[in-house]
Amino acid sequence: MRPWAAAILYAVLGAITFVVCFPLLWAISTSLKPKEEIFRWPPTLWPENVTFEAYRELLFGSSVASAPGAGVAPSAYFLTWFGNSIIVSVGSTLISITIATLAAYSLTRFRFWGQRSVPYIAILGYMVPSVIFVFPMFLTMVSLDLTDTLFSLILGYVCITLPFCLWLMWAFFRGVPIEIEEAALVDGASRLQVFRQIVLPVALPGIIAASIFSLIVSWNDYLFGRVFMNSMENLPLTVGVMHFFDGTHVDWALMMASSVLMTLPMAILFGFMQRHLVAGFGAGAVKG
Amino acid sequence: MTDVVMQGLSKSFGSNTVLKALDLRVPSRQFVTLLGPSGCGKTTLLRLIAGLEKATAGEIRFGDRRVDTLPPGDRNIAMVFQSYALYPTMDVARNIGYGLEVRRTPKAEKQEKVGAVAKVLEILHLLGRKPKQLSGGQRQRVALGRAMVRRPDIFLMDEPLSNLDAKLRAAMRGELRRFHLDLGTTTVYVTHDQLEAMTMSDLVVVMNEGVVQQIGTPEDVYGKPANLFVAGFIGTPPMNLIPAQLRNGVLTVAGTPLPIPIPPGAPTELVVGVRPQDVAIVEAGSPGAIPGKVWIVELIGSERLIEVELAPKLRVIAEVRATHRAAIDDVVAIRPDPAHLHVFDPATGQAISL
Repeated sequence: MRPWAAAILYAVLGAITFVVCFPLLWAISTSLKPKEEIFRWPPTLWPENVTFEAYRELLFGSSVASAPGAGVAPSAYFLTWFGNSIIVSVGSTLISITIATLAAYSLTRFRFWGQRSVPYIAILGYMVPSVIFVFPMFLTMVSLDLTDTLFSLILGYVCITLPFCLWLMWAFFRGVPIEIEEAALVDGASRLQVFRQIVLPVALPGIIAASIFSLIVSWNDYLFGRVFMNSMENLPLTVGVMHFFDGTHVDWALMMASSVLMTLPMAILFGFMQRHLVAGFGAGAVKG
Repeated sequence: MTDVVMQGLSKSFGSNTVLKALDLRVPSRQFVTLLGPSGCGKTTLLRLIAGLEKATAGEIRFGDRRVDTLPPGDRNIAMVFQSYALYPTMDVARNIGYGLEVRRTPKAEKQEKVGAVAKVLEILHLLGRKPKQLSGGQRQRVALGRAMVRRPDIFLMDEPLSNLDAKLRAAMRGELRRFHLDLGTTTVYVTHDQLEAMTMSDLVVVMNEGVVQQIGTPEDVYGKPANLFVAGFIGTPPMNLIPAQLRNGVLTVAGTPLPIPIPPGAPTELVVGVRPQDVAIVEAGSPGAIPGKVWIVELIGSERLIEVELAPKLRVIAEVRATHRAAIDDVVAIRPDPAHLHVFDPATGQAISL
């Protein structure tokens, strides 16, 4: 590449990186500032006095005794919300992946009515924005008496993640040659052994890619949590942290510290799974 | 000692009939090749024997054991696939040993057997590798090892050499033949390559459109083709098939009588078959030779192919020594070797024995 072309390329990439990273850096910076410094003008890019007060309050409870009669401070719920978010995103992902994997396998391996159209109908369903589903689904939850339960959120997330997971796994299984399964059958393996020992290991990159997709969607969701849930102790993290806003003030330090902590699990997951993710989406892209 | 007997075996996919009431016996310990053009049903037949397809009608027996109702794993067969079908996530040792693993063979015994097979196939140094780290020839060997390790009653091979380059293919032909002689396992081998069929087989089963055309030794199918299909399919360059007439009991090709006695009762319209190697080019006007004009001359190494036009749209190929010179449009004559003539009834396609 010519030097000036490289310079332009790096300039563009640098600008994009800055735009993407700046909010995250700003959040980290703000979360480490004492309250007085947050609103100082001109703002400091990096805190002059680093404090972990916001993190301490979120993780180990409020240091400021709440005024009598003021009830429990929202920050006291942080760990509960965090737990809720983990339960619903892991739960919905497990269900989504199990159904998607089994369904995609049968769609590519067995002959039955609708075999060809199901994956396309699924991807079409995925293209409908979830805002359109959320109220009909809420009414369904009401009639099932499931509102304000973590289970209702799990069901909701399964509904929005399953179509794409199914599509991804379907594209993946289509690329797995049937001969290796036949070879295993001739070797004496049962159908179940073939699936567990031959098919699943081959499909692992696809399963990981679909899982990460499903985890991110359900972890980051705000809409379903906002509509389905109302008790403080049942909120997912995304909805819960909005309680750091109230009519009179916004606790930016808590807000930003929560955001940073909320990003951590996904960032760690990405770090470990990146390699598989690329392989999984790559397979889907080529074969789909 | 396991022979394979198929009786009245039919297979249809929807309205498409691939095998038509096929009867075939593969004798024990023999190397039998199913040979035919693509779509002739040879692979389907192999998959029926393996149990990967269910027959529409008929039965299959291994010895006196009826197997067409058994799943593939209970038939004690091993199969080598065209694509090798190695398990991509397992290393070579586990690929070879997987059949023993699912049969719960003790670990020590399994390792010993895998090691023994790997030694024979000269792939001991590859046991820790994954299939994608192997070359085509090495994958081929692993696939063979996986088939050999279980000591199956029957080997089934579906065009196992077709993905190898020409040189390796020639070498593997010899090796497969040696393995078969050493192990003595009944083998059913599918190919569309007549060279493989001729060089490796005890018996060749020539198939076309779901029907067995001829079963015989390589010498038989080459030297005594049972019908027009076999005559035209076996041999390179293919046999010349020339329309001929019977006039007053004398076989006549392009107006020239040939001194061949034809049994009584033969139809008056016939097809004469003669291999290019059995056609001599002689001087025009030689007695008993059919006159013609050289159409094209092709040198193929030690031989030369001379195509002679006897009449409009009636051409015969002669394979002669490369030293034989001929030019396009030379006036020559051909003389088929009467000892190597084949005569067919064009209505039925069947050979008429002379």
